[in-house]
Amino acid sequence: MDLPLLSAGFAALSVTLYVLLDGFDLGVGALLLLQPLEKSRDHMVDSITPTWDGNETWLIMTGVTLLAAFPVAYGILMPALYIPIIVMLLALGLRGVTFEFRAQMKPYRRRWDVVFAIGSIVAACMQGLILGALIEGISIDGATFSGSVFDCFHPFPLLCALCVLEGYVVLGGCWLQFKTSALLHGFSVRMLRIALPLFLLTFFVVARLALLVQPGIQAAWQAHPLLLGTVGCTLLIAAFILFMSIGKRPDVRPLAAGLVMIASGISGLAILVFPMIVPFRVSIWNASSSRLSQIFLLTGAIVVTPVILGYSFFAYWVFRGKTPEKGWDG
Amino acid sequence: MSLNPATLARVQFAFTVSFHIIFPTMSIGLAMFLAVIEGLWLKTKDALYLQIYRFWMSIFAMGFGVGVVTGIVLSFEFGLGFARFAQLAGPAIGPMIALEVLTSFFLEAGFLGIMLFGMHRVGPKLHYFATCMVALGTLLSASWILSANSWMQTPDGVAVRNDRLVVVSWWRVLNNPSWLVRLPHMLSAAYLTASFLVTGVGAWYLLRGKHLAFAKKSVALGTAFATVLIAGQVFIGDIVYGTMLTHQPSKMQAAEGFWEKESASPAPYYWVILPDQKEQRNRFALGIPYLGSIWLTHSLRGRVEGLKNTPPDAQPIMGMVFYGFRIMYGIAILMFAAATSSLWLRWKHRLYTTTWFLRFLVAMTPSGIIATLGGWYVAETGRQPWVIFRMLRTIDAVSPVPAQTLLATLIAFVCIYTFFMAAFLFFVARIIRRGPDLAPARAEASGSLKNAFRPHVLDNVNANAAVGR
Repeated sequence: MDLPLLSAGFAALSVTLYVLLDGFDLGVGALLLLQPLEKSRDHMVDSITPTWDGNETWLIMTGVTLLAAFPVAYGILMPALYIPIIVMLLALGLRGVTFEFRAQMKPYRRRWDVVFAIGSIVAACMQGLILGALIEGISIDGATFSGSVFDCFHPFPLLCALCVLEGYVVLGGCWLQFKTSALLHGFSVRMLRIALPLFLLTFFVVARLALLVQPGIQAAWQAHPLLLGTVGCTLLIAAFILFMSIGKRPDVRPLAAGLVMIASGISGLAILVFPMIVPFRVSIWNASSSRLSQIFLLTGAIVVTPVILGYSFFAYWVFRGKTPEKGWDG
Repeated sequence: MSLNPATLARVQFAFTVSFHIIFPTMSIGLAMFLAVIEGLWLKTKDALYLQIYRFWMSIFAMGFGVGVVTGIVLSFEFGLGFARFAQLAGPAIGPMIALEVLTSFFLEAGFLGIMLFGMHRVGPKLHYFATCMVALGTLLSASWILSANSWMQTPDGVAVRNDRLVVVSWWRVLNNPSWLVRLPHMLSAAYLTASFLVTGVGAWYLLRGKHLAFAKKSVALGTAFATVLIAGQVFIGDIVYGTMLTHQPSKMQAAEGFWEKESASPAPYYWVILPDQKEQRNRFALGIPYLGSIWLTHSLRGRVEGLKNTPPDAQPIMGMVFYGFRIMYGIAILMFAAATSSLWLRWKHRLYTTTWFLRFLVAMTPSGIIATLGGWYVAETGRQPWVIFRMLRTIDAVSPVPAQTLLATLIAFVCIYTFFMAAFLFFVARIIRRGPDLAPARAEASGSLKNAFRPHVLDNVNANAAVGR
């Protein structure tokens, strides 16, 4: 059995779940900055309060899976992406404790909401920088990072940062349309009408530029034209359905379309990069740990992951329907 | 001193990991304490136990939160600062940490929610089961992490092929020579930490004449636990000492403050030294005569091995190891004193009225945390200059990240973690000031999955669904 391939599959599952789940709650966080009414902001935070920390678990799982199954890649990527990763972790940490503080300290809630929004925006942008730096390609020498830690601040990764932020805002808008009614529902519709076209525009610019900055992408297109074409079409159709269903019933349709849109973006990326774990540089087999390490990791993952997925699904199910206006405490 | 990336990477890791360990130490201890208290409540049906449970649960929940946030950072930091370490050690410690994430998050997701919010929903017996599962989860998590760290101290079960590390036997990696002695040492340190936290708060209320029933019970239980635990810890600590003396003699040589291959006979027990690593001697040393021979060699005139038995390029820095050890050991002696005094005063029925003793207990509130930090300093600085003992030097493991960047992120960590600590202390102080009568029936923490089990939340959702949105 090709164990590194299985481990790579598990890492891909973790990162996909992370982007889809934490994507919308970072997006909701970013939108706090544009919402002037405190009551509506409370309502927005309430809509993500029950589930956000479960979502972030997948980020840790991704990092630790890399360490266990692909230590060579982990050792190249962490120093290469040193600045965006640390800034992202600090932003996520601040955002995490703000959930508590905004609830505990009413008089300063406005300020905490600004911290919350900035934390969300910075975390999203740093993930975009990481993505951009990976596509552009990391300089390596053997199994060591040989570039500068500032490489990820090139124009292309910066554009990716904007793109990811916009993508998360779109997901956040979809989530709000799904979970809220009345005033906030209108707000989410207005935001989606602006954010979606902006996201698509940025996305196409990024896709076009990616061909220029990374020759490997052109090669991948030539190798899998049909597969990538299908994924691209799915993305466009999902975007179209999303655009047409903004503000219309059923409220779940934009969210479903948005998730499909982002998921096809991720699968397209996976096809472009496969079978490299450090994109366009080191393959999953060259970076993998030995057989026994893979078995140990995969056994744990296969036994426990279904339980975690089941539990997460249950948590979402408990909080199904519109978020109550007065908050979960009622 | 010019900026050295290796030093900065080490300071950054030391800072973040020291900050982090404070919170798991409290969580491990308090989780077990809560399990015991709830068990007592189920057995006696005395409402006082329930009050104690609720009071400490809200502090436990907050500490747990800070522990999670600062723990996430560590799972990336192995590679951020020490890329070569991650690449070499990843195959051995990576799967252990992955399993820690999988198992401890699984238990957290499954049972912390019920523990924090589910008392009215699931009934006392199932709730007690949830508390026990959370305590078990913290214990499991400690086992994985101690196993990974012990592997770095006493690596076993691996081979290096083509410059890469290959696991030969998982059994020997997990059950490496120091794991099974260091795990109980850490666990009883955590349980001692919780005992002194509980006792300290109780003593503080007694001195102020407030919440007397709660305070008396806290002091009675806390000192009882502490007495049993410190007696065990002295014994376990001695075994750890012996194990490390066999497997890592350089650490214990540095911990005792002697340089010469053989100390003078009889050897004193040093409390203050001013070591000069370059000259391989102490510029100043102050100790108690004969005590070194008696404690360390169990004879009146025995000689103690010094650091010169280890070649200078494989020596840890004596000052750090020595003072880490003295802090841990000194506090252990104070804990022992507190335990014996408590036994005496309990016998004399003056446990709750002896002011000097209560003041001493208040001062000892954070003693467990400080002693644990001291112990970890011995473990980690004493392993130097190796990151994996006798396999990889720390200096060779450092990431190719420039010093200025490391300095900038270190400053960011210090600022943000200071803020976390200030906030944590602020909220804990508020809970203690309000007193146990006002302790909420559920934890105050709000931002998480754990809400899923709040009964009135469920009612609310159901009502909402019934109205038809």
